[in-house]
This record gives sequence, structure tokens and C-alpha cells, in this order.
Amino acid sequence: MYRCKNLLTLLLLSSLVVTQGCWSSKEIEDLSVYAGLALDVGERPEVERNLEREGATYYKKNLLTATIQIVPIKSFERQEKSSEKQLLKYSNLRLTGDSVFEIMRQYSTRRERPVIGHHLKVIVVSTKLAQQNQMDQLMDFVLRDNDIRPSCRVFLSKGKAYDTFISNQPEEVPAFRINSMTQNRYRTNKVMKDVNLTQLDGLLHSQQSFLLQNIVSTKGEIEFSGAGIIKGETSKWIGDLNQENVESLSWIQGTGQGGVIKSYDWRNKNITYEIKSMHSKTTAKLQGDAISFHVAIESNGRLIENWDTKENPSELAYLEGAEKVFEERLTTMLDHLMRKMQSKYKVDVAGFGKVLSIKYPKKWKSVKDNWDEVFSQVPVTFEVKLTITDFGSSTE
Amino acid sequence: MWSVIISHLPNWKVCAQAILSLVIAIGFYYLNKYMRSLVEKKNASAQKARKGQHLAAHTNLSDHYKDNLQAIKQAISSNSDVHFREFQIAELHARATLIFVDGMQNEELISKYVMKILMADVKQAASDRSHLFDPLELASYLQDEVLPVCEVYEAAELHGLNQSILMGFTALLVEGMPHALLIGSLGMTTRAINEPSSEALLRGPRIGFTEVLSENTSMLRRQGYSEELEINMYEVGTRIKRKLVIAYMKDIVNPDLLQEVRDRIGKINMDFIAESGYVEQLIEDDYLSPFQQSQNTERPDRVISGLLEGRIAILLDGTPFALIVPVTFSMLLQSPEDYYDRWLPGTLLRMLRFFAAFLALMAPALYISFISFHPGLIPTELAVTIIETRQGVPFPSLIEVMILEISIEILREAGIRLPKPIGPAMGIVGGLIIGEAAVQAGIVSPFLVIVVAVTAISSFSIPVYSAGITLRILRFGGMLCAAVLGMFGTILFILIICGHLSKLKSFGVPYVTPISPFRLNDWKDLFLRAPLPFMNKRPDMMKTQDKKRR
Repeated sequence: MYRCKNLLTLLLLSSLVVTQGCWSSKEIEDLSVYAGLALDVGERPEVERNLEREGATYYKKNLLTATIQIVPIKSFERQEKSSEKQLLKYSNLRLTGDSVFEIMRQYSTRRERPVIGHHLKVIVVSTKLAQQNQMDQLMDFVLRDNDIRPSCRVFLSKGKAYDTFISNQPEEVPAFRINSMTQNRYRTNKVMKDVNLTQLDGLLHSQQSFLLQNIVSTKGEIEFSGAGIIKGETSKWIGDLNQENVESLSWIQGTGQGGVIKSYDWRNKNITYEIKSMHSKTTAKLQGDAISFHVAIESNGRLIENWDTKENPSELAYLEGAEKVFEERLTTMLDHLMRKMQSKYKVDVAGFGKVLSIKYPKKWKSVKDNWDEVFSQVPVTFEVKLTITDFGSSTE
Repeated sequence: MWSVIISHLPNWKVCAQAILSLVIAIGFYYLNKYMRSLVEKKNASAQKARKGQHLAAHTNLSDHYKDNLQAIKQAISSNSDVHFREFQIAELHARATLIFVDGMQNEELISKYVMKILMADVKQAASDRSHLFDPLELASYLQDEVLPVCEVYEAAELHGLNQSILMGFTALLVEGMPHALLIGSLGMTTRAINEPSSEALLRGPRIGFTEVLSENTSMLRRQGYSEELEINMYEVGTRIKRKLVIAYMKDIVNPDLLQEVRDRIGKINMDFIAESGYVEQLIEDDYLSPFQQSQNTERPDRVISGLLEGRIAILLDGTPFALIVPVTFSMLLQSPEDYYDRWLPGTLLRMLRFFAAFLALMAPALYISFISFHPGLIPTELAVTIIETRQGVPFPSLIEVMILEISIEILREAGIRLPKPIGPAMGIVGGLIIGEAAVQAGIVSPFLVIVVAVTAISSFSIPVYSAGITLRILRFGGMLCAAVLGMFGTILFILIICGHLSKLKSFGVPYVTPISPFRLNDWKDLFLRAPLPFMNKRPDMMKTQDKKRR
């Protein structure tokens, strides 16, 4: 009997381990990974309208339509090269509702595999929705959620955000394409520095105005074009900067890693400058009560394209002339940007406020609350110095 | 005041959980103690039994030749392989008998140097020494002046004589002589010295131990001349006796360690020790541990370098595997080649082996916890690929891994038994075709095939075969832990192993010693192998008498 008791104890102890099973295990293939989230103004797609007509509805105001991009879609044809037909790599699922989280859970009523947010890469918000709703409200769930990584990038879409999640190449996942396109900053400064959720959280809480890269889409093609301005006080979208403005902004901040300046010389012939390096220094000045800024921009580059066959690029005089042309062009570009920031939208999205707060913290404290207003009156001067270091490997 | 205290007390659920976890821990403690006591009790009872055992009665040989012969015949002539060759020593006018076991004597030596001399050549010597017919001096006369054989002993005791005959000595009984002469002419055929097959090296001596103890000890001696190398002989086995030898460097080895080894060997109580594995299991500290507590090797160079670090080697007759004690964890992942190569390649390979050991232990567990519990920890593109390939796999990841792991283990086990000519072919068939077919059939995912293959390859890169087996056993434990609790379980599993390792001792030396207890000096030879000029001290952990190598 004593022996049996020992054995029984052992059995019971082992049952503690065995009966647990794999209690919180969820196989990866039983889950849906969504790589992108697009938020649009509430507008029910046709499928949903039909479903609702059949009675599939719940208490909601249809404030927004959320689209998730699920990769990969379920397919049982594994690695069969014989099947020539091109399978879509992704599937978009749209639902309309009020709360982003409720919509996320509502997907489980439509698909057998629940969605997980670990691999969310891209969030696209349509400007229309951002105009109507506050950005911090829209982003509240994604900022709160534990699964979604802070490295997820946020964009605005000029048209419907849903359209940016369509690609006419079936092999390609649009969310991944958008995500990878942010890496092209070293080729052109029209691509902005990406804003991820961590940065967005900071920007939303500091009540600053900021920019989000704008995506324009048509028929499965997308383009990064300019940026949308989110006003700090209201946290709503107020307007756009165009591609040229975004370029100019990178000059002011000195953050560009590459790009071009194209201009026309005195014979109205096309010449192009390739940016090799870019430095800028913004200094704040305080004279009495008057704030002013001075931006010194320096850049080295190369004369990369010259349509003016009458000129010899190896001549120093010509290069100096070309430098002048480019500097003029850049100054015009900067003027356009400043006019837009100071007159049209009355926002500071170039970080002048930060320079002031470092140099004159006391002054900053007094103007902080209506800085966008104050900034629109502040004079900003530029000093541009472009140097053409070489003219490539072609000469006469 | 009470109400304040009570409001801070956890509710009964938390209390119950706390008590339960306490009970489990205590339960494990008692279970462990109980399992250990099983072995100790058995040992104690066996010793009692041995004390009661009486040794066979001593009976000496008598003066009467015929009585002696009769007595021997009675004792061992029932063996059909014992031969009695009677002949006449003419000049001494005495009858003589040679007793030997068929196949164990050196026939040429016996006929040329014993029989021929006794039958023919003893004449002249005997003629001028006719006074020597005193029976007591006959034996020494034969030994000193007649027989040109180097191993000759006198035996006066019957029981011992019989034993020696059965062990292969040739006994010579002469009429009128109250002793028997044992002529050592062990002519057993032995295996040639081969390269050790389980510990092959690219660089280093190609010599390996054989089954003959004297050859093995001579191999140790031949490593180089040294007066300090001491070799002590023991006999083990109660029913069938075998020779066991411990070897150590006299002025390096720690005397306490030596005494401990001697004590434990003295306690060995078994009727027959078939292989050094028996010795290993009978003298180890913790029979419940999955880790070996003495290192077995076929390489004399490994033994001698162990001796120079202050370790002790145990060699058993009849097996090519020597034991080195005490063993530490780092030894299991070290190869003699680390020292024969220059220090950079040595270090690289050693690091590689540590990494491989980690893979061999943890790779399937990590696979399970990533696939079943933490899909967010896989890079997105890889996660997408895994989902694509795992679609249609009907099993949860644990079952999937088990299927492939077990079939690989079976294949490996079968590979040892397979006849040499078809072994490699079957390996390829098994590995490639089963893996590929399992993927095609949709039982496992292709990604898992990679994981299992990497695991199998990694476990082969561990230089000590038995350490590889340890990791193979533990791998399954890791997989179960991962299946229950995911990454958390995997980490718990690692912690349990670390806890066990830091508690484990081999002959009083902590198992993971340069790491815990921490000895910075010994780190020179742990993950990286420092250049030889820097390694001018013996390992601190061995507490040697002579600390410096030069």
C-alpha cells in the first residue's frame, strides 16, 4: 500500500504538467497576419451593404471604414509550379464601423483565421478622414495595442486609403511595397523621413504640427507625393505640401541624403545637379522681442546632366555660372515653401520652434502655446552655397 | 488594525497557488532523495553480502606429484580446453606435466624453450650437479638455470594455480617438486592498433587504445619518458576478475582526488565488469543526471593531456575506452585538435561547437515556441513564407517536430547497425527521401526539415559522442517544455538545466566550474583557446600540487 501511495503521488504530480497541454498555443498558420491597415471615411462596400440587407448588422454609426491587408491568403496549392495562373499574394478585407478595435474583432465574423497585429507595417489614413477626425483619436487603438510594433509607419493618402492597398502586380504585396519605398530617401529627397508610431505618439502629445508622407494612387499604381500637414492644436489635416515643398523642407532641415536640383540655364537649357552632401544650420536670433531665423545651407554636388551643348562643363567659369543658377532655383523653392508655411497654412513643420526652444527657452515658453501664429510673422533669411565639385566622367 | 492587514492578504486562490508551488518543489526534493536512496540502499546490502562471503579454502600443493596432478584434474579437467601434456625428464628421472588452456599459450615458446630444454638439454647441467635432487631446490634450479623464459613464477597454492592456468599461464608440474611453475606465455591474438573510430581527427596521432590493458598502459608510457607517471593496478569483479588501472601524474594530481578515486574503485561491487562503462556508472556522483560524469576516450593523447591537467585516468582490461575523471562541462565540447591547431582556428572551431551544441539542444524547441506561441518574433517575410508552407499541415507543431525528430533518431540508430556497404546509401535514402516525401505528403513543412537537419548535423559536431546523446535526450525535454509554455517554457527549461549543472559535481569538482564557481584564469581555455604561451598554468579547478606548467 505504501508503494502504491508513492506511485499515486507521482502520478498526480505529473498530471499537473500533462493536463496543461499546450494551453496558449496558437499555430501560426491558424492566424492571419495583416501587414497593412487603411482607414477611410465610413463608406460601406457593396458586399457589406448586401450583408446588412440580410440582417448582418449591429449598433454602429459607420464612422470609418478599415481595410486590412492579409498576407498570405489561404491557398492549398503549395509550390506547384504547374499552376500558371498568377495568384494574388494578399487579400484586402474591408469593414465599416466606429471603433477600430471593434472592427478588428468583427473580422473574426468574416474570416476563419483571427488577425494578429505583430506584423503590421503600414498604416494609411485618408486625408478626408484625417480632416474630419482627430488624428490622435484615429491612432488611439494602434498606439495602445500591445501586439502592434512601434516601428509601424504612418502615411496619408490623397484619395481613398483603400486604393493604395491595391496593386496591379499580383506577386507584390502593396503594404510591403509602401514600406520598402521609404528606404529610397538616399535617391531623392522627395521621399520624407518616415514617421513611425513611436514618433507619432510623441508628435501627437506635444501638440506640434507635423507632416506625414502623402501617397497618391490610381489603378493599382502609387506614388509618394508631397506631404499632408496635421495641425498641432486640432490634430486634424489642414492641407498638403507638394513634392517641391518636401524637397525644400529637406534642405532647411539638412536631412536629405540625395536627390536632384533641376534648373534651366541662361539659354533655357536643362541642367541638373546631383546632391552629394547637404548641410544646414538654423540659428535663432532674438533682438528685443523680435524673433528671427537664419538658415545657412551648404551642399556639394555634381553636374550630372547638361543639355547645353554650347557650354564646356570643364570650364570653371561655366561651373560657377551653373552654381548660381542652381542656387537661384533653390532659393525660389525655399521661398515657395516659406510662403506656404507662413502665409497659407500658418504652421511650422520645419522644426524652427525646436531651434528657438534650445537657444531661448524662456522666450519659447511664452510663445509656445500659439507658436504657429507667431511663426507666421517671423522673418526667415537664407544663405545658400552650392558647390559643384565635378562634372562627371564626360568632357570635351 | 486587523482589517488593514486582512485587506492586504491575497485571496485564497493566490494562497492556494503559492502553497501548491511550494508543495511541488518539496515533492521534487523528496522524490529526488527517494530515488537516490534506492541506489545507496542497494549498495549497502550488497556490501553486507560480500562480507559474509567466504573465500575458497587455501590448500597447498603436496610433495606427491600424482596427488597434485589428481587435485588439479579434479578441479579443472572438466573443461575440455584444458590440456595435460605429460612427459619424462630423462636425466632427472622425473615425470613432468604441462597444463595449459588451448589457444591461450604460446605454442612455439612452450615447445622450444620448455619442453625441448627439459627433455634434451637439461642433461649436462644435471649431470654435474647431481646433488641438486633436493626437491625444494629443484624449483629454483629450474627457474635460475634451466628455463630461458622471462616470466616464470612459483605457485604453491592449488586454488591460485588453477586460476592462473585458466587465465592463460602454462603450469609445469615436476615429480618431486612441491611447487608448480607458472610460465607466462600469454599468446592471445589481439587486434591491431587502429585509429579510434569514434574520435577521428584530421591532425593528431592516429593511435587508439586496444583491448589489451598492458598495451594501453604501454601506449601511455610511450607518450614520453616521465618518472612521475604512476600506474596502479586493481582487480575488480567478484566472480570474474578483471584488471583495472588508474594512472596519474604523481606530483601533479591532487591527493584528495586520488584518494576519492581509489575509495570509489574499492567500493565497486559487481560480479563482472564488462566494459569501462560499468566502472563509469558505478563510481559516478549522480546517477539521475543526464550528463556524464567521467569522460570516455579511445585516444592516449587525450588521456595524457588530461593527466597533465591533474586528472586521473581509469583503464580497464578488455576495452579500448579509458575514463578520465573528473570531467567538467567544457571538456565535452573540446577536441584535442583545438590544441594541435594554431590558437585562432582552435578558438573558432570551439566557438562553433558551443553554438552547435546550443542548436542541437534548442533549435526544435525554439521552432515550436516561435510557430505556436510567438508569431510576432519571426521577421515578417519569413513569417509569410512559413504560413504559406505550413498551410495544409494537419498537426500542431509539436507533433510535426516529433514525427521528424523521432524518424531522424531512428535513422541514426539504424545507421549504426546497418552493414557497412549499404549504410551510406540507406542514410541518403532515409534522410533525403523521407524528408522530401514527408513534405510532399503534407505531413511536415519544408522549413521544419531545415530545422531538423541543422539540429542533426549540429549534434554530430560535438566531439564526445556520449555528450551528443545527452543533448539528444534533453532536446526532447526542451521540445515538451516549449510546447506547453512557449518561449517562457523554453527559458524555464534552460534555467532548470543551468540549475542542475551548477549543482552537479564530478569527484568533488563542480561541473561547470570556470563559469560557476567563477575562475577567471580557467577562462583562457573555455570558449576561446588562448595562445599556448599564455596557458602557463594548470587549470585552477583541479587544485593541483604543481600549479605551473613551466
